[in-house]
Amino acid sequence: MLLKISDLSARVAGKEILKGINLEVKAGEVHAIMGPNGSGKSTLAQVLAGREDYEVTGGSVTFDGRDLLALPAEERARAGLFLGFQYPVEIPGVNNVYLLKAALNAKRKTAGEPEVDAYEFLALIKQKMKLMQMSETFLTRGVNEGFSGGEKKRNEVLQMLVLEPKLAILDETDSGLDIDALKVVSMGVNSLRDPKRAVVLVTHYQRLLDYIVPDQVHVLSAGRILKSGDRSLALELERRGYDWVMESQVA
Amino acid sequence: MIAPQPHAPSAAQPAALRSFEAQWLERQSASKRLDRSTAGDPLSALREEAMGRFLRLGLPTTRDESWRYTNLRRLTAHSFIDAPDVAEESGAAAGSWDLGERLATVHMVNGFAMPPTPRGLNSKDIVINNLRDLSRIDPDLVARLLPPLSDAEGARFALLNTALFTDGLYIKVCGKLATPLVILHTAAAQGPGAIAYPRVIVDAAPGSKATIIEHHVQRGEWTPLCNSATQLALGQDAEIEHYRLFATGSGCTHIDSLDVRQQRASRCRQFTIVLGGALVRASLDAHLIEPGACLESFSLLVGHEERHVDCVNVVTHHAANTRSRQTARAIASGASRVIFNSKVVVETGAVQAESQQSCRGLLLSDSAEIDSRPQLEIHADEVKCAHGATTGRLDPEMLFYMLSRGLDRATAQSLLVYAFLADVLTGMSLSAARAAIEDSLIAQLPDSQLLRRFR
Repeated sequence: MLLKISDLSARVAGKEILKGINLEVKAGEVHAIMGPNGSGKSTLAQVLAGREDYEVTGGSVTFDGRDLLALPAEERARAGLFLGFQYPVEIPGVNNVYLLKAALNAKRKTAGEPEVDAYEFLALIKQKMKLMQMSETFLTRGVNEGFSGGEKKRNEVLQMLVLEPKLAILDETDSGLDIDALKVVSMGVNSLRDPKRAVVLVTHYQRLLDYIVPDQVHVLSAGRILKSGDRSLALELERRGYDWVMESQVA
Repeated sequence: MIAPQPHAPSAAQPAALRSFEAQWLERQSASKRLDRSTAGDPLSALREEAMGRFLRLGLPTTRDESWRYTNLRRLTAHSFIDAPDVAEESGAAAGSWDLGERLATVHMVNGFAMPPTPRGLNSKDIVINNLRDLSRIDPDLVARLLPPLSDAEGARFALLNTALFTDGLYIKVCGKLATPLVILHTAAAQGPGAIAYPRVIVDAAPGSKATIIEHHVQRGEWTPLCNSATQLALGQDAEIEHYRLFATGSGCTHIDSLDVRQQRASRCRQFTIVLGGALVRASLDAHLIEPGACLESFSLLVGHEERHVDCVNVVTHHAANTRSRQTARAIASGASRVIFNSKVVVETGAVQAESQQSCRGLLLSDSAEIDSRPQLEIHADEVKCAHGATTGRLDPEMLFYMLSRGLDRATAQSLLVYAFLADVLTGMSLSAARAAIEDSLIAQLPDSQLLRRFR
């Protein structure tokens, strides 16, 4: 089991948002977490990535055999967990490439590998940028600085491709993308699919799942996973809405 | 000529004030001994007037508006003597950096100019004289070059410098200078209680262009109190990029007054960079005198350990279509305090004037303090003036983003600090100066060795 979440609950600004989440993700799988606004999807993603001001109040998470909650954010990343942010922050003055190189070297150092060679790194990043159909001007710009919503999302996927995480949690990476951008981003994510890796897609819409076909779909509502199923659950949700799941729970 | 004794020294006055008067009297009797007639000499008259004004204003206290954050009481309890004229001694000063061979350097030690004129400059484009000789040979010229005396409370130390400087540099920029000129100011005393009065006059002829870097460093353990004054006069269409960089050690007190006067359509880019010193007071008094004059001022103020940095800008728009932009970045760590006061005055008739003031402060410790006050005084219609000041800590969202990519906290913080300064650093058109300043700057930031790797 790559990721095992047991009865996880968490508070944000004093308010209980996650109320006992259980989820298991095996290597090689793609899971989709769907749910209405405010259900706790993003909170779950941020808690897993190690955001400090989100307080875990109960439960446990093991990742690749380790107690994830005991690790600070940077060690989670180096252990192979990647969060693709819903709203990637702009960091003017910090160059995209610096950040990415620092990130890759931090990971390599943890793995006992030498720092990446500058030319090799540039070649790697250019190849991945081509896949993501990104302009080379990205190389000279600040992190997400002045990027459009779509460019920010492509940049998240680019970072993921360079860092090659064991587990990628993509928080609404599809939101705000037009159909062409959605295809590019999906292609990027699919290129990382591998028997050793897993992807958790947090999404609002089933549209993304036409391009990245999930093994399992979970419906999160009011801090709990109400229903899990295969890909057909997503299609049913699209047809019948989230109310249907909530009603069927009550009944 | 009346014997210049503006006030009888009194025991009630701070020791510093009495010693400044003593210096003044000593200079008077020295010129008498040399049998130099000062009668009708406009420079002597100007200096006398300056001394008189200084003594009338007295030493600043925190009751003075522009000195409210900087208390000089401890300093002014001491008396001062002239710093030694050690210009003949050479030797590398601590903190000086290599700006590359493309630059021409002229040396000043404690305000005394060291001959000769640097190589690498075309004498058709630039003339450099020392003020000691020039004041003797052509006092009329020097008197004409000095800016009008001001009674402003912030101008006290400039007045004192005008009264008491004995040497300095007169730089006449005639053409377009391809080679940047470095003025390396070295402070070096043999013990405590010395004061230096470095003076620099830059006279940029119409249409001329130059980059001038004033770099303040120290040699040896002791430094004099440095009361320096520089003036930049820009003729029509002249273009000057000026840097003043304070990189002295942690024992040095520096009061620097910069006066800028700009004629029609002249352009000045001014960088004030404070990386050293115990107490640094850097003032800028800029006058956009004729239409189309444009000033960009960048201040990079780094408070470190116990350092006190006080930067005061006053920019006055006298004419129509003048533009000014002030960008300040202040960082305070340890128990340091950084002050940035900027004021824009738009005089009647300065219609269509445009000004911008932006100050951002970054606090890196709980015991550090940053005070910034942008002010506006507008007496004209149809002007466009904007100002803003913010101070905060490192952005937690940015920090988390970087941590989530695996960067350790120290590296992430250093990168954010560096990014905070980027607006000022990228404004520097002189890449050699930028690189050197980045180096000096990075060395003072937390986890500097980490940051160096990411440049």
